[in-house]
Amino acid sequence: MTADPPQAGRSIFILLRRLRRPLVALIVVYAIAILGFTLISGVDTAGRRWQMSFLHAFYFVSFLGTTIGLGEIPYPFSDAQRLWATASIYGTVISWLYAIGALFSALQDPNFRRIVHESGTERAVRRLRVPFYLLCGYDDAGYRVARELAEDGTPLVVVDAESARVDRIDVDDLQVEVPAVAGDASDPKILTLAGLTHPLCAGVLALTGSDFVNTKIVLTARLLAPNLPIVSAGHDHAWHPRMAAAGADHIINPFDTFAERVALALRTPSLHVIYEALTTQAGTAMDEPIHLPMGHWILCGSDLFTRALRRQLLALDIKVTLVDTKAEDGSTGSTCVQGDPTDPAVLRLAGVEDANALIAGTDVDVDNLTISLAARSANKQIFIIARQIQRRNSSVFRASPADLVTLSGYVVASEVLRAIRAPLLWSFLRRARDEDEGWAASLLTQLREVAGDEVLETWSISVSPAATPTAYAHVERGGSIDLQRLMTRDGGSGDAIPAVPLMLRHGHDRHLLPPLDTPIQEGSEVLFCGAARSRAIMRHATTVHDIPLAANVSNNRHAAAMHSPKADIKSHT
Amino acid sequence: MSLERVFFAFVIVLALTLNIGFTVGDISDPTHHNVYELYAAIVVSLIATVMKFGDRSPLGSTMLATSLVADVQLIAAATLWGYLATQTVSADTADFVTVISLAIGALIANVVSVVLLVIEVASLRR
Repeated sequence: MTADPPQAGRSIFILLRRLRRPLVALIVVYAIAILGFTLISGVDTAGRRWQMSFLHAFYFVSFLGTTIGLGEIPYPFSDAQRLWATASIYGTVISWLYAIGALFSALQDPNFRRIVHESGTERAVRRLRVPFYLLCGYDDAGYRVARELAEDGTPLVVVDAESARVDRIDVDDLQVEVPAVAGDASDPKILTLAGLTHPLCAGVLALTGSDFVNTKIVLTARLLAPNLPIVSAGHDHAWHPRMAAAGADHIINPFDTFAERVALALRTPSLHVIYEALTTQAGTAMDEPIHLPMGHWILCGSDLFTRALRRQLLALDIKVTLVDTKAEDGSTGSTCVQGDPTDPAVLRLAGVEDANALIAGTDVDVDNLTISLAARSANKQIFIIARQIQRRNSSVFRASPADLVTLSGYVVASEVLRAIRAPLLWSFLRRARDEDEGWAASLLTQLREVAGDEVLETWSISVSPAATPTAYAHVERGGSIDLQRLMTRDGGSGDAIPAVPLMLRHGHDRHLLPPLDTPIQEGSEVLFCGAARSRAIMRHATTVHDIPLAANVSNNRHAAAMHSPKADIKSHT
Repeated sequence: MSLERVFFAFVIVLALTLNIGFTVGDISDPTHHNVYELYAAIVVSLIATVMKFGDRSPLGSTMLATSLVADVQLIAAATLWGYLATQTVSADTADFVTVISLAIGALIANVVSVVLLVIEVASLRR
């Protein structure tokens, strides 16, 4: 790896190099003017001949050139001096104008401005003193991630290829100062400049719109900073193996994620309620599940989005009809109608009048809105899911007849935040997806008992003498710790704290819904779920006094980045 | 051979020759030293400094530094001489010696500049 020369301070030399010619011109003109005044003789008040000294000549030319014009001093000039002064005025003023003009054009030069901006960013990155995330791509997903992280006070550095998006960061009013680089994120030099190899870099988020660029970022990050967690967005399945091979820790596919959520709501409605309660702000266990109909679904559009949905729907034995202008590639299990889905006649042909649900999933917002309107006028009962592409169209989509709107930037952002903020919750949700409705229903009942209609929160506890001193005091007195112990109020009452342990992690082992008598070892991490009140009680019960900041930083590299002063107990919702 | 390189070398060598021309002579005798020569040395030295701004060669930064040293020394010499000239009592010999010794300091810096220039050209030829 070759080290690049430090950028900071380079810009001043680039500027000076551009100003060489005007500066030389200025010096030469001044030198000639000054020399002339020392050679040309004048007459003083007493009628004697006199010559200017260099001091006087320099003084006179200085105020002459800057058009200050203090007059003819020390004595009124002779005609020869006046002639020379006239020539000097024009020479010096013109050379000044030339120099200042050159200075401004050099400062305005986009290339120079880019270098100044880059070195400013480099300085800002070097000055970062807390763990930060390197975010590549500042479109909808990137913006949401940046805003949420900034609200937490987590600093981040943004790289985006479009300078217009980078400029938007200033306008977007994030709550922390965000250094940004306009450059191709697949260029290792740009990533290094943005702090990839900085010792405090806590993770790389590859969220550009292009799978190719994301893979390149993952690869670069893995090779240059081997221990960093890397989260990457991938839209096309063809790229997933490459991304995984390059070393991405999490690959987030917004289409798959959304399709799985739809399938979840269809297959295990209780789990969907749990999912929503745990992952949305102010979600409770009492929320009603959304009722997605089975039966016959119409999918409009035929790109990756609808393909992911079709796969999930077919697995649930749902009759699927595809509508698209392009001919279908002969896949089995679904009927296909060729035609423009925005045309009501085509929709009727696809059976919209009897269908149970319709997905407006083309990649044009106007088309999706048109399809929603056409479908609603043809069938009052049909459940409409509309795909939104651009964030700025949100208000129109809200007013549209669509029952559910999905914005893939939003989906990516929430998955990314979940993966980096609450990795344990993330893996819980992944594992829970494999369970059936019976399991989910009983868990939902349990959660309702524990939290009632209060907002559900999740938090995790790392078990160590530093993080959970009360429980350890118990061990020293000869007891053993199990989950029950962690969930017991202090103060001798012995009451159980109302919470549900969702997952226990020890090393690479993960146990879903561990029983209460599970013995706990040092280094284990437990994910609990319950009302906010329970979290406060548990925090008090397990930690009598405040814990040193770095109590469990080594347990969890994601947690290290979150720099929470309460690093032992992290809130997830 | 480019005109720019010729001018570059010309300015650097001229800065040295003017500097030597000024300092040669009895160090304590003002009549041996021409004020116009000092003036020319300063102007050429300043131009040499500007020419070295942002020079891309590996020795560029060292050359810029030596040139700045020469500027500082020469301007100090000129300022001191100008100050001595304004004193009504005739200038002390010891003070005038300082003017020339400052210029000799600049001379050393200019010699280093020229040596660096030669080294650079020689390494280019290889």
